[in-house]
Amino acid sequence: MPPAGIPAKRALPSKEASLFKELLNLYETRQLKKGLKTADQILKKFPEHGGIKPLLHSEKTICMKGLVLTHMGRREEGIELVKKGVRLDLTSHICWHVFGLIQKGEKNYEEALKSYTQALRFDKENLNILRDAAHLQTQLRQYDGLVETRHTLLRLRPNLRQNWIGLATAYHLNDNLTEAKKVLEHYEMTLKNIPDYDVEHSEVLLYHVRVLEDLGEFSEALSLLDVNAKNRAIIDRVAIMEFRARLLSKLGSTDDAEHTWQALLEQNADSYDYYKGFFTNRGIDLNHITDENRVQTLQAFREFTTQLPRAATPRRLALSVSTGDEFKELAESYLVAGLKKGIPSLFADIKSLYDDPQKLEVIESIVETHRGELAAPTPTPESAEPPTTYLWTLYFLAQHYSHIGQHTRSLGLLEEALNHTPTLPELHMLQARVLKRLGDPFGAARCMDEARVLDLQDRFLNTKCGKYRLRAGMQEEAQEVLGLFTKKDAQSPGADLEDMQSALFILEDADSYRRSGNLAMALKRYAALQKVYSEMEDDQYDFHGYSMRKSTINIYMNMISWGDRLRSHPGFVHAAIAASEIFVQLHDDPTIATRPSSTANMTDAEKKAKKKAKKAAAQKVEAKKAPAASTNSNEDKGIEPPSTKDEDADGMKLLQCTDPLERAAKFLSPLASLTKDNIKAWIAIYDVAIRRKKYLQAAQALKRARQLDSEYSPLHVRLIHFRKTVSSLPQEPPAPVGPVVTAAAADLVPADLSLETYNSQYLQKHSTSPRAILASAQALHILGAPVEEVESTTFGVLNPEVERDIRSAMEVLAFLKSIKSTRSEEFRTACDAKFELSTVFKSTEEITALRKSAFAPPVDPPEANGDAERETAS
Amino acid sequence: MSSTRLPPRVSFASLTPNNLGNCQKNVHKIQTHLATGTVRKLNSVLFPIKYSEKFYNDILQPELEDFCKLVYYNDVPVGTFCCRIETSGGQMKLYVMTMGVLAPYRSRGLGSQCLDHIIRTAAAHQNPHLSAIFLHVQISNPAAKTFYERNGFKELGVFENYYKKLVPHDAWILEKEVTAGDVGEIDAA
Repeated sequence: MPPAGIPAKRALPSKEASLFKELLNLYETRQLKKGLKTADQILKKFPEHGGIKPLLHSEKTICMKGLVLTHMGRREEGIELVKKGVRLDLTSHICWHVFGLIQKGEKNYEEALKSYTQALRFDKENLNILRDAAHLQTQLRQYDGLVETRHTLLRLRPNLRQNWIGLATAYHLNDNLTEAKKVLEHYEMTLKNIPDYDVEHSEVLLYHVRVLEDLGEFSEALSLLDVNAKNRAIIDRVAIMEFRARLLSKLGSTDDAEHTWQALLEQNADSYDYYKGFFTNRGIDLNHITDENRVQTLQAFREFTTQLPRAATPRRLALSVSTGDEFKELAESYLVAGLKKGIPSLFADIKSLYDDPQKLEVIESIVETHRGELAAPTPTPESAEPPTTYLWTLYFLAQHYSHIGQHTRSLGLLEEALNHTPTLPELHMLQARVLKRLGDPFGAARCMDEARVLDLQDRFLNTKCGKYRLRAGMQEEAQEVLGLFTKKDAQSPGADLEDMQSALFILEDADSYRRSGNLAMALKRYAALQKVYSEMEDDQYDFHGYSMRKSTINIYMNMISWGDRLRSHPGFVHAAIAASEIFVQLHDDPTIATRPSSTANMTDAEKKAKKKAKKAAAQKVEAKKAPAASTNSNEDKGIEPPSTKDEDADGMKLLQCTDPLERAAKFLSPLASLTKDNIKAWIAIYDVAIRRKKYLQAAQALKRARQLDSEYSPLHVRLIHFRKTVSSLPQEPPAPVGPVVTAAAADLVPADLSLETYNSQYLQKHSTSPRAILASAQALHILGAPVEEVESTTFGVLNPEVERDIRSAMEVLAFLKSIKSTRSEEFRTACDAKFELSTVFKSTEEITALRKSAFAPPVDPPEANGDAERETAS
Repeated sequence: MSSTRLPPRVSFASLTPNNLGNCQKNVHKIQTHLATGTVRKLNSVLFPIKYSEKFYNDILQPELEDFCKLVYYNDVPVGTFCCRIETSGGQMKLYVMTMGVLAPYRSRGLGSQCLDHIIRTAAAHQNPHLSAIFLHVQISNPAAKTFYERNGFKELGVFENYYKKLVPHDAWILEKEVTAGDVGEIDAA
């Protein structure tokens, strides 16, 4: 708290004024109990006069008392007092500051900033308030205001390094690098007698170099770097070299740059970035090797391989670059060495080479030949290759064949490998993955469990097992295994994983609920993930102050841009799209929300288990509450609101919300700018926009999607939907929107074609693609074609020339069910016959049996003896 | 890449409830009927006998830690041995209950390394002092007998009807006296 700058006429008498000062002090040092007493002491003498503005300054005492109470855990009472204090005097900076603190604690940064702005109106030069306001402005990305605030701070305290840095970064964030540079230059001129090896100073200088580099002033950047590296002001050796290499490259000093890159590679021979830098310096883009520079590049990699014999990266990169016989030779030594060493990730490492079908073939033949050599009998076992080499070769091949769709062959190899060595968890895990790909989630879950029990302390295996159980719809069972590693005093394993922000669990659980038809819980979980990302965003807050104090600026600036892109993470994108799809479903058919939930089809045993779990959880919560009752202690409960009780345990409130489309739009809103290349996101944005009657946004989304992939089958459905929707509007929306939308519709689907013709043309063009067939059936449905016609188009998926694919078949089945087709059962049995090894097309009864089998004991070898032989001998 | 072959890495790891597998009472706590941890899995593949829960409880005793191990070959678990201490004729002896290596990994000195470890640990063992190591070999398995004899074991006789349910029922009793000199024995492998 700042020293109170109070106009004389309203000041407290000196005794109380000093008491108030003491109160501020006590709060700062978190002596809450004493603070409360002091506040009461002041208020006893100067109680506020009901309704009439007090003559004396009691309102700030009331606010402080409220703040102290909030910290002591008496939150509601405290906040009430704070609000009262603010009401009593709208011109007190202390009252506004306290109010702002409370709002900041609630993570309501926008409102908090408003309060701080009010506070600053009445105390323009209060350092604490200014600093907090700067943090809030950064968090809210209000960079114009930030520059102003930082300016004021620097003017008031020019002797503090963090204020200079603060202003420089503020300019930088506000895209004014020139000013940022000036600030740093001024700052450096004020410095005297800096000790050697001052880390914080070194960081500032490196930041200065970065600013110059970003400005394109490479030679200035380089000389600043060199001077300060020489006089030991910049002490981060690796950073010096990295900056140097980059700057030299940009300056065109190719030879010097090459030496520096080389030196960096000698320090870390496995850094892809360094290789990229090295070759970029030679004018070679590693991602786009041409026939002209291929030889030169390979030669360089060969040199690296001899120079840096322990590094795997140059050998691996050489595989990407080389072709033909050269590739064969390099791949052989790389693969065989990897198999001998027993590198489990070898296949994952080279998989990206398969983009080139020739390389795929070569790799297959190399490893198959190797396997043949190993399988051949050798004269003496001692001279032979270690058996593990053979094992890893089988493992590699099993991955290879599964990757190219030959799952049965892969399973055969795995069986051979398991007979050879039944104790290698990787083999069971791969078996699980292959079964998953074959459409047998139950067998997959079971194999993953077999891998898990080989080593119960392996959390990776445990998590995989949990995930596979979720994939097979076994949610309770999944939580049970996951619970082996979660906190024992958590309400449930799932609750702990949510607290720990396990996006993996939250997403898989959500998807699992969605597949089982429990949309309420699915929405709840997707919302939980949304919350995780908000928390991550909030987590940046502390660094706005910390990084200035510690001068860790470069990394801080990286964090800010990470924060800007946070919601482009695939996990968030997936959750946003999935949730919006459910919301759209709810909008189209609100009866879903009131239909009895999936609990109806749970078995009795499941219901009982659920009840029991609920009871246990409730007891745990009760037990936790008990000791929390006493609030009179000095303990600081913090200013953040405690986690509130879950008001919507089963997600029904979310499901029955009245504004599904608004919620969907809000969830999706970050995607429009962050994931421009994600066609699924554009489709989801369209689906929501068109229903919200935002025709321009809808048209825009479709245009974006078409730029990405004009033949994308879900896009086809939307194109038809869009033109039909627009043309059946009772009247064109008012200008300027209306004509633009009409023009867009005509642009997206040729106006001279009827939609029916357009649809059948699309179908003809993609007659072997199951998803395109589905899309044209969906379009027919939208166009109001009779069910029989929709069905017969859909069944085209079963034609022999259509490329088989389990996932699309599942989508087709879901579509048939959604239009309540009488032929969906027929389709299901046809798929079940077609995809022999899959289980996803089994009937409900069969699936229930399969779920059980996921836990069935493996077939034991014939039981010879009940007991060990030694029980009898002695 | 370099053509010199690295020598295979062989190491022993202690048994824990985690690599042993669930014991039956835990099976119902979480929904899995799989009880095959690495040790159980190896035993089920290596020996024609299903061992009792008592066996699995006993081998976890801390005082037997050095005598009950998993054998890793190039970081893959491929074998196991389990012993216990017994009183026989007023003397404390080490009894080798199980010792086995998966078929593809045999004839590579793994067995000798295991036995060597057992002998040296037994020789260094105090409280109680161990006077000998003994074990049983089914008489249908002369190769195993030869292996133990090569490592200093001597046949004491035949235990008739030792195996109740396996054919043949008889077993050789093999024993090796433990001497102080065994402690410093150089790794035979």
